[in-house]
Amino acid sequence: MKTISFVLGAVFLCAVAAFSHHSFSAEYDATKPVSVTGVVKKVEWQNPHIWFYVEVKDENGKVTTWGFSGGPPGMLARRGITKDVLKVGDVIKVEGFRAKDGSNNGSGGNVTFADGRRVFAGSAEDVVPRN
Amino acid sequence: MSLCLCGSCLFAILAFIPALLLGQTIPRTPEGRPNFTGVWAGPGFTHRVGPGDTDTPRVTTYDTAKMSPFKPGGDAFMNRPVTGDPIKDDPTAGCLPNGLTRQILSPYAQQWIQTPSQIVVLYEYMHFFRVIPTDGHPHPKDVEQTWMGDSLGKWEGDTLVIDTIGLKEWMMDATHDSKPDQLRIHSDQIHVIERLRYIDPTTVSYQVTIDDPKIFTAPWSQDFEMKLHPTWKILEFVCEENNRCIFGKCAESDVQKTSRE
Repeated sequence: MKTISFVLGAVFLCAVAAFSHHSFSAEYDATKPVSVTGVVKKVEWQNPHIWFYVEVKDENGKVTTWGFSGGPPGMLARRGITKDVLKVGDVIKVEGFRAKDGSNNGSGGNVTFADGRRVFAGSAEDVVPRN
Repeated sequence: MSLCLCGSCLFAILAFIPALLLGQTIPRTPEGRPNFTGVWAGPGFTHRVGPGDTDTPRVTTYDTAKMSPFKPGGDAFMNRPVTGDPIKDDPTAGCLPNGLTRQILSPYAQQWIQTPSQIVVLYEYMHFFRVIPTDGHPHPKDVEQTWMGDSLGKWEGDTLVIDTIGLKEWMMDATHDSKPDQLRIHSDQIHVIERLRYIDPTTVSYQVTIDDPKIFTAPWSQDFEMKLHPTWKILEFVCEENNRCIFGKCAESDVQKTSRE
């Protein structure tokens, strides 16, 4: 496992009014940004929103698997984004907002690969924390 | 003076040319009506068409500045504080319908199928549909209140006018997703009028008029656009398929269980 780092709400991020998860405010807390870096363990390219799971190791070696919700498959397709964009084993940084129930889940609007490529970011349907 | 007249003539001619071209190029039915059959990106898109016929969804809500003044109590009726209960704060969290006024702005594709006597709209989002008769019959006297209401269409020249009543008290739009402390609700007295008119062969002007006498002193309108996407088809959207955080409680996935154990 080449999981890298874990940062949770350590940096102040302002929520941007750019939510269109079909029920963002009911499920996620726009005041609780989350940023993690780790390895993709699973991708569920399904309705109503894709989910991807990232295995994260903190500085004490504790492993946590975070689940992140992205855009709906159809909405992503309209932008030319297909399920090949995320693969098991990819190392990614995810920025989003925590689930209201306090579980290790969140919305994941920003995904950055190790080589700097970004997906899902910068469009209105993504739930994107911005500085 | 002659220059002025010439200028006026030129202006009139220039103004008339697009209309002439438009008449020749917009899709029309064999009966000569504008033909809205096709797959569209509705008001919930930017309409910036990219390579591969892409379009970018966007959050779209009704503009407060365009609304009419409130009646006494109208503001409190429409703008409600969130309760903390996801079932009340956004019923779509449990896959309940978003309702007509929110559906119009939804950032998903929609397919229109037009016949001489009716128009059917298939919304990708939540698999909703509307059947809109255009044969001139009136609304029923005792219309049942539903999420999509009772819609009738009529033609005013090349403009399609859709008149809808019979809507439940429900979410006006998705304002709560950008302002999480505020819900925007319309009443069951709402009357929605949509006016659609081609402005070029792939673009339709889409005006929505909201008349909610329980909330506003007068009807108000907002203008949007729809864009035709020839290569699109509507896709499956099954809200219940993998709605992992239904009503705000997230289900643990198998990989999360393995990690925890």
